[in-house]
Amino acid sequence: MEHDKKLMGRVARGDEAAFTELVGRFGGRLLGVARRLLGSRADAEDAVQRALLQCYLGAGTYQAEWAVSTWLYRILTNVCVDELRRRTSRSGQLDPPARPDAPGRYLDLHRALVRVPTEARVLLALRYVDGLSYGELARIRGISINTVKSQLARGKSLLRTALTKGGAS
Amino acid sequence: MKTVLTDDMLKGYFQPDAEPGQLARQVLLAARASAQESEKLLDRLAIQATAEGISLIRAQRLEKPATAGARRLVERAREELYEYFQGKRAFFSVPVDLSETPDFQRRVLEAARRIPFGEVRPYAWVAQKIGHPRAVRAVGTALGRNPVPFIVPCHRVLQSGGGIGGYLFGSETKSGLLALERTTPIYEGCASTHIVCRVGCSSGRRMRADNRVVFASVQDARSVGYRPCKVCKPSRAA
Repeated sequence: MEHDKKLMGRVARGDEAAFTELVGRFGGRLLGVARRLLGSRADAEDAVQRALLQCYLGAGTYQAEWAVSTWLYRILTNVCVDELRRRTSRSGQLDPPARPDAPGRYLDLHRALVRVPTEARVLLALRYVDGLSYGELARIRGISINTVKSQLARGKSLLRTALTKGGAS
Repeated sequence: MKTVLTDDMLKGYFQPDAEPGQLARQVLLAARASAQESEKLLDRLAIQATAEGISLIRAQRLEKPATAGARRLVERAREELYEYFQGKRAFFSVPVDLSETPDFQRRVLEAARRIPFGEVRPYAWVAQKIGHPRAVRAVGTALGRNPVPFIVPCHRVLQSGGGIGGYLFGSETKSGLLALERTTPIYEGCASTHIVCRVGCSSGRRMRADNRVVFASVQDARSVGYRPCKVCKPSRAA
């Protein structure tokens, strides 16, 4: 963790090697979250790139009392949530991705997730891709720990209902 | 077939992705390329105003505003444009003065103004809105002479086939603005006050960068305990 913070200090001074190391360390997890939220690898890469660009240009605003991962996830989820807003406003409802690239056995779960409201879906993705604590989730989305718990419970209950009905087709 | 939800299933589905090799390099390239093209455009712009509102924005020399009130409006417009180009503003609050604009053109501009931030409509949509569905070409001309580009978003009007169409500052600038709006959020909340604002709201501007949380809708923000700002009234947006 201290190593991450030192790394951020170097990124803030414009050290490109430090930035490359930071991306190597977190890139996979960021992509994992983005792909589960946006549905396709291409959209996820685009979102992660935009988020990392904001991180690189705004590295000076990073506060050392935050874990670097918390800060990165905040920026990434801000980008992804806005991307989900655009999809909703275009079609009037949230489109499932045309060609979901989820592995076969997760297809039902993938479809069911589309039914879960944005805030709960973001929390589920963060919780399960990186195993983040309630406290970290609260910090990332700027909400209380109780709200995190109730949103996660609600998200899971919606998933369970959708799956019990035999997929969300 | 029924599927039963388990934690293991969620963990399996949400496995991190393989780390992409080129990601850092691509971001660093983009960082070098983003040498503030839009700020250069703002430097070229001259803005004119009456006491009522902004009356002209052009990339040429313009007469200085006559009154102190008009000068203040010009300053405010420049500030709002700066934030807009930076991706930190999703609406304009500075008033415009279209009183010198011919009636037909004014109706065209008012229709264009109703196109939500980040969205696009064809010329034919504008023609339909003003009750002259066949006047598509005239609509194009009226938008091409838009006295207050950016603030009246004529760049959000495209050809019906999806072609970019003309623009006062060139089609490259037009697609640049559309790309900018595609990556500018509309709603942001402050993690310390739990108030959700439209991006660009004066109270939102005082927000610290690390308190910024983007929401997809005011309803989403409410669902996690945020309340809408009384200054910018985000529920009325979009």
